Amino acid sequence: MNILLAEDEKDLSRALVAVLEHKGYKVTPVYDGEAAVEEAKSGAFDCMVLDIMMPKMDGITALTIMRESGDTTPVLMLTAKSEMNDKVAGLDAGADDYLTKPFVMVELLARIRSLTRRSGEYTPKKLSFGSVTLDISGQELISENSVRLAGMEANLMEFLMMNPNKSFTTEEIFSRVWKDAEEGPDVVWIYISYLRNKLRSIVADVEINGEKGGSFILEPMK
Amino acid sequence: MSIYGEYEAILQKVMEDIEGRLLAYQEKVQSETGENAYEHLLARIKTDESMREKCVRKGLPETAETALVTMTDAIGIRVVCSFVDDVFNIVEYIRTFKDCEIIEEKDYIRHAKPNGYRSYHIILAVHTEESDVLGNTPGTYYVELQIRTIAMDTWAALEHRMKYKKDIPNQELLVGELKRVADELASCDLSMQTIRELINS
Repeated sequence: MNILLAEDEKDLSRALVAVLEHKGYKVTPVYDGEAAVEEAKSGAFDCMVLDIMMPKMDGITALTIMRESGDTTPVLMLTAKSEMNDKVAGLDAGADDYLTKPFVMVELLARIRSLTRRSGEYTPKKLSFGSVTLDISGQELISENSVRLAGMEANLMEFLMMNPNKSFTTEEIFSRVWKDAEEGPDVVWIYISYLRNKLRSIVADVEINGEKGGSFILEPMK
Repeated sequence: MSIYGEYEAILQKVMEDIEGRLLAYQEKVQSETGENAYEHLLARIKTDESMREKCVRKGLPETAETALVTMTDAIGIRVVCSFVDDVFNIVEYIRTFKDCEIIEEKDYIRHAKPNGYRSYHIILAVHTEESDVLGNTPGTYYVELQIRTIAMDTWAALEHRMKYKKDIPNQELLVGELKRVADELASCDLSMQTIRELINS
């Protein structure tokens, strides 16, 4: 699982990275709000831990920007003990949970487990990007026209539509969508090929770009 | 005498001409690629009875002119293909006919009808040395072509049965199911098309 950690106190950040990596998480540490927004734009995370007080851009502003861009990744805010207003502002800006500093590591780990366990619930029933709508419950891909998507096609399309304009390697897509199933990453290219033909058939104005075995990105048609 | 009058023989000739070109195209593609350009081809002249019935239904006089000029489906050809791309290849082939004009073209594959119907429709004006009912020599005859995949064809047959059978229980539910199946078939058609591309690449 991938975690974005935005914490400007270098010592605390180092300690958190060490513990989280020990627990098997892959951690991307950043040290200010602007960097957090940049990372969130380019990568897909299972959970983000954001400190509120950070240089360049505070955590609440960063979160607001992410949510406005359609990012629904679960977010845990780190707040100072005394600042009740921060907790309210953080939750209102789209945080899913908060933890007051100082905290004990086991609680942070438990809250991350809780957030990532529930992450499925945050998925909206319909996703839209450009002219395309994906009806997740009906597994229907709709633009000028509509086609039904089979199981993994729908999962892959859902992943790409949750993360539009972001580039992912074949391996990243495989581990996130297929959860390291037996088939191996070669299956990614086949399903990308299916989706390309299906997007074309519904006269979509978005396309999946990338080469076999490389990185793929869902973006507006050029 | 049939509604087509003295033009029936020419109608037959025009149909055989267009059918012949599609048969030649099949042979050409088979010899070049070893694959079929299409699975089968049906060509028919609308029977006297159904053409008269259609004139009456539309409130038009039962004359040769109505049947050959106002109506454009006296000659109907249906081409049924295995793969979606084959459909579009045939459309491109038809575009190369120098003595014909595509006067109407409807892509119900990219723009399916709301009920899920998919097919490619072309109305072709064939210019021939023979005279036509309007007294022109060379004259003009019309051919309606429907080009679609086997899956689309099977679906259309089922939908046709539904449309003409009365008192079907759960009709509304079945209309919804037909639409859903149309979208599933379209998806399967495209998956098969993709697999063919992956095999050939």
